[in-house]
Amino acid sequence: MLSATSRQEPALSGQGRWLASVVERGGRATLLLQEQPSGRVVRLRHFQNHQPHSSPSLSWNGRYVAALVQQGNQRLPLIEDRATGALHRLPLPADRTAVRISLAPEGRRLAVQVAQGGQWRVQLFDLSNLLEPDLPGGIALQGGGLGTAP
Amino acid sequence: MRLLVPACVLGLLLTGCLGPVPMPIGPLNGRIEALGANRDPALSGRWLALISGRGGREQVLLLDLDRQQPVPVPGLNRADAQPVSVSVDAAGERIALVRQLEGRTELVLYRRSLQSLQPIAMVPSGVPRQVQLQADGRQLAVQVSRGGLWQVDLVQIP
Repeated sequence: MLSATSRQEPALSGQGRWLASVVERGGRATLLLQEQPSGRVVRLRHFQNHQPHSSPSLSWNGRYVAALVQQGNQRLPLIEDRATGALHRLPLPADRTAVRISLAPEGRRLAVQVAQGGQWRVQLFDLSNLLEPDLPGGIALQGGGLGTAP
Repeated sequence: MRLLVPACVLGLLLTGCLGPVPMPIGPLNGRIEALGANRDPALSGRWLALISGRGGREQVLLLDLDRQQPVPVPGLNRADAQPVSVSVDAAGERIALVRQLEGRTELVLYRRSLQSLQPIAMVPSGVPRQVQLQADGRQLAVQVSRGGLWQVDLVQIP
């Protein structure tokens, strides 16, 4: 069991070194990335705002962090590349709302559950032209990547 | 196909203007769509686990994305159980499932090669809500309701 504060939507990297979860910070659902087992919190460059955050997932070595964020009146999937600092957005058509996402550990595909016309649907997106693969046994990111939270 | 052409054209236009963008995987999405109303997707390796509903009943499906078709998961689904959350490892061997059954919410681990279902107890006691199986299949992260709080348990799998 991890701490006594409210924590939801856990997601582990491929071999369990990184844990993403959603916690309340200032009354807003905020993505938290921690190294395991120390619990050290690692700063994410592109998830400082746009709360509420939800539905995090991580690639094999924790290089890619994906989650839903709020941008204007839309829920939007974001993927942060912790190795390069790059940000990838996945805009969706206005007639559908993203509800949950799942990033494949290798970073090749993203599954998005959307609500459209009163029905849930799952759609897959090809990320192979966007992300380098993050494969098991690949180079593990050291420390906090682009900056470690105090 | 009528839907695919505009999507491709749009993708090419965006690619030219803004750099690469994620592209919908048309044929696969068509097959997933044909399964019914789907939710709670979980990707790992070449596998997609999801909760799929048709005719008022939901069940867990495991799709082999390379072969673009569901694979059998005998013993995983029960007609009297309501799936809540599902996750699969990268080998497609282990599936973690939170389900409601006979008024209780429970976490179970399914091993596909053995067709076995093993209950995972929450210690201390709590009600599981969401589960994620790490890609190597060796550990579970579980969102648990306990004492009025949402908590996260990490559970090693032998």
